[in-house]
Order: sequence, then structure tokens, then C-alpha cells
Amino acid sequence: MGLAIVDHATSTGLLRETYDRMLTRPLPPVYRPAHGGAPGIIQAHSLDPALIPKVFGMSSTLNGAGPLSWPERELVNAITSRLNQCLY
Amino acid sequence: MIADPRAVALRWPDVRVRMLAELALVVTEAPWALSRARLAMLTEDEILHAVTLSAYFGHLNRIADAVAVPLDYTVRHQPPVAESATPPWLAAPTATSCVPSLDLARRPASAAALAAWHAHVFEREDGRLTGAQRSMIARRVGELLGHTSEPSIDVARASSLDHPARSIERSLVTLADQITLAPWQLDDASFAALRAEGFDDAALFEVCVVASTAGVQSRSLVALSALDR
Repeated sequence: MGLAIVDHATSTGLLRETYDRMLTRPLPPVYRPAHGGAPGIIQAHSLDPALIPKVFGMSSTLNGAGPLSWPERELVNAITSRLNQCLY
Repeated sequence: MIADPRAVALRWPDVRVRMLAELALVVTEAPWALSRARLAMLTEDEILHAVTLSAYFGHLNRIADAVAVPLDYTVRHQPPVAESATPPWLAAPTATSCVPSLDLARRPASAAALAAWHAHVFEREDGRLTGAQRSMIARRVGELLGHTSEPSIDVARASSLDHPARSIERSLVTLADQITLAPWQLDDASFAALRAEGFDDAALFEVCVVASTAGVQSRSLVALSALDR
């Protein structure tokens, strides 16, 4: 169900380069998936590889700096996600 | 919080947590109703941060739903299954031109990142949608959330959707509506009408991204403009 996802293992070209580059970004261990590839929410954008650095560049500016603390950011994210009834 | 996120805004012992939860709730469901009076313990920079973060996370939710991505990291509490019967949120009662009380320019890195993201989505020349279609979707999403801008030639197209020749545009608007107001209802049926018009997964993904990106911008703008209204 849902639109296609090209996962890290089968990715090629720009998408593979983008996934690999995303893996080099600082990321708290709790967010690193056990499969070792790019996190699922990044792979969710696989149909537009050039979009990935744009979207997650925004994430870096919001999750890597204050004034809200990490727990407060997680609170905002969790409430938003639950109201949207999304598992992410 | 997982079972009843609304209860956090109402009853959590820490008033600062209640205010942040209230902010996320309003930005997500009815951004035009955000009021500074209910956020008294938050600074302007904290409000701006939280509004932008909530609007941004709403994009991640929508894309995750569009591709039905599986959860791939460990969580202590499994999220409940989405209830597709939950009715869509209401659209904004009115749509106006918005002047934000707080400008994202106070966070220059976020403003630059959002501008680059927006340019990729709306100014690309290799997209599957026409510029007119992207503009039409963005305007529709903005109006659902309470924001309107000066009419343009693209808007004239959007306003004539009852013409039989506009079946693609009608289907684009229907999908944009669901992405904006009821993302938990996204499933294969959501894409059927546009698939019948020849849209493949890449084109459908672009529709989702256009609507969701427009949602991030309009949701933030409307919420930040409502603060002191």
C-alpha cells in the first residue's frame, strides 16, 4: 500500500549518494534504525532524491538549535504526529 | 500522551508542557485559532520555534502516510492504528492575506532552508506537474488553512473546476484536501482518480509534496498571523 519507496539497499545514482550522505549527518543513536540504512522517514522521500537534502536541511535548523530543548521539541513532534494519526 | 494527546494540553501538571501541547494542537488542527493569550509562559522565539517545528513535522507525517513507510526504529509505546473513520478537520472559516506577528526571518537558517525547499518544489523545471497545477494546489491548501494571496492566472484556472475538462484539476484538489485536512485517510484509493488520468507514483508523490510543502508554509504563516488577532 502507498506510493513506491526505493530503499537504501536497492538505491542507485543520486538517490544512493543522497542516502549515503544523509548517514554521515549527526543523529542521536535513538533515531538510528537497526537496518543500518537511511532512516525510513528519509527513504519515504525516495521518489524525489533532490528533495531529501532540502527537507532534512530544514530539520537540521529546527532540531539542532534552540530555544526549545530536545524534550520540548519531542513533545511538539509527538503531539503533532498523534493528532495527524501518523506512526512517525 | 500517546493515548490522548489532547489531555496533555488540558491536564498535564507542568503549565509549560500544557502550553506547548496546546500550541501543537492548534497549529495542527486550526492554525487560524492560535492565540498568544494561551501561550503566556512562552517567549516569542519559543513560539516561533514551536510553530515552525509543528508545521514541519506535519510534512513528515503526510509523506510517511503517502508512502505508508513502516516504523523502523524502536519505540517504547507503539502508536495506535490510524482510525480512517475520523472525519477531516474543518477548513478555515475565512481566508485572508496574512501578516505574521512573528517572522521566520528571526530564525535565518530555518528561513533559508524553507526558501530552498520551496524553490525546489515550486520552481523546478523537471517536475511532472505544470507550474499552474502546483500553484493551484498551493492556493487551495492555503485557503483551507486560512490564507489567501493575490489572484493570479493560475487561480482563474482553479476557480473553474466544475468544467468537465478540468477533471485532473478536480482530482488534484481532492487529493490536496485530503492531504491537508485528513492525512490519516491517505491510502491507495486516494490516488485512484489521478492514476486513471495517467499519473504514476513519481507524479503522485509530487502532488503530495506540493500540497504538504504548501501546508508547511501556510500553516506557519496563518498561525503566526493569528497570534495577536
